[in-house]
Amino acid sequence: MSCQVILLVEDEVLIRMLLAEVLRDKGYQVIEAASGDEGLAILLSGQHVTMIITDVRMPGQIDGMALATRAKQAWPQRPVVVMSSHLPAADAAIADKFIAKPFVPAMLMKTIENLIGPPCQTPPPHNQTAS
Amino acid sequence: MSDTTTPQPDSIIVADSEVIIRNVLSDYLRQCGYKVIDAATSDEVIEILVNGAGPFAAVLSDADLGGSMNAFSLRFWVREKRPEIHFILAGNVDVAAKAAGTLCDQGPHLKRPYDPQHVMTHIKQLLSAARK
Repeated sequence: MSCQVILLVEDEVLIRMLLAEVLRDKGYQVIEAASGDEGLAILLSGQHVTMIITDVRMPGQIDGMALATRAKQAWPQRPVVVMSSHLPAADAAIADKFIAKPFVPAMLMKTIENLIGPPCQTPPPHNQTAS
Repeated sequence: MSDTTTPQPDSIIVADSEVIIRNVLSDYLRQCGYKVIDAATSDEVIEILVNGAGPFAAVLSDADLGGSMNAFSLRFWVREKRPEIHFILAGNVDVAAKAAGTLCDQGPHLKRPYDPQHVMTHIKQLLSAARK
């Protein structure tokens, strides 16, 4: 059984902590990054990441939109969700989904499930070996 | 029947300005049964301790932690403000991995999910890949 891994990029630690906890409680694996630079480092390290959720305004060399753009150029099949309190949705067109802050966690969960499905994917029966 | 004598796992804060190291250490400690909160800077550690939900058992911090306060000042701050919290200062990845193994032995699970040596090896592999 393979589990979905979400890269969560958010510089506000309490928001990141809250969102990561909600996602982990639902069964998703979460990798937390505190900036666009950290998010990019995780992607470049080759760790398995199913989808990316990123804030826009963050300190560092690259912001959330630059991270989303680089991620979509390198891994076009990997869903990216951009969340922001100030960015017009049209400016986040590179992303698969834009979520305006503030939002309730249930809204984010619905978006995630629509994009990547449930936390863990059970392989089809013909791939399972008898024990 | 639930075991009412089993305490809820305390939270551990893993503080490291290198995201790859922080993530691998946190993942390991979660597998040991702890609730783990990531912090990228000393400011984030203080924000978590002041406004986050505890109880907190320990802070595992890199000695080179970034932020407006260095790791040694942060240790002093924690000892002053939150003396009940165990502060572990790790000077390098090897020390941090061993400290995580020790925390694991004291944690909610009865045995380590895998050896801390694997934590260190995994960190080095990921760092090498990220820097290529």
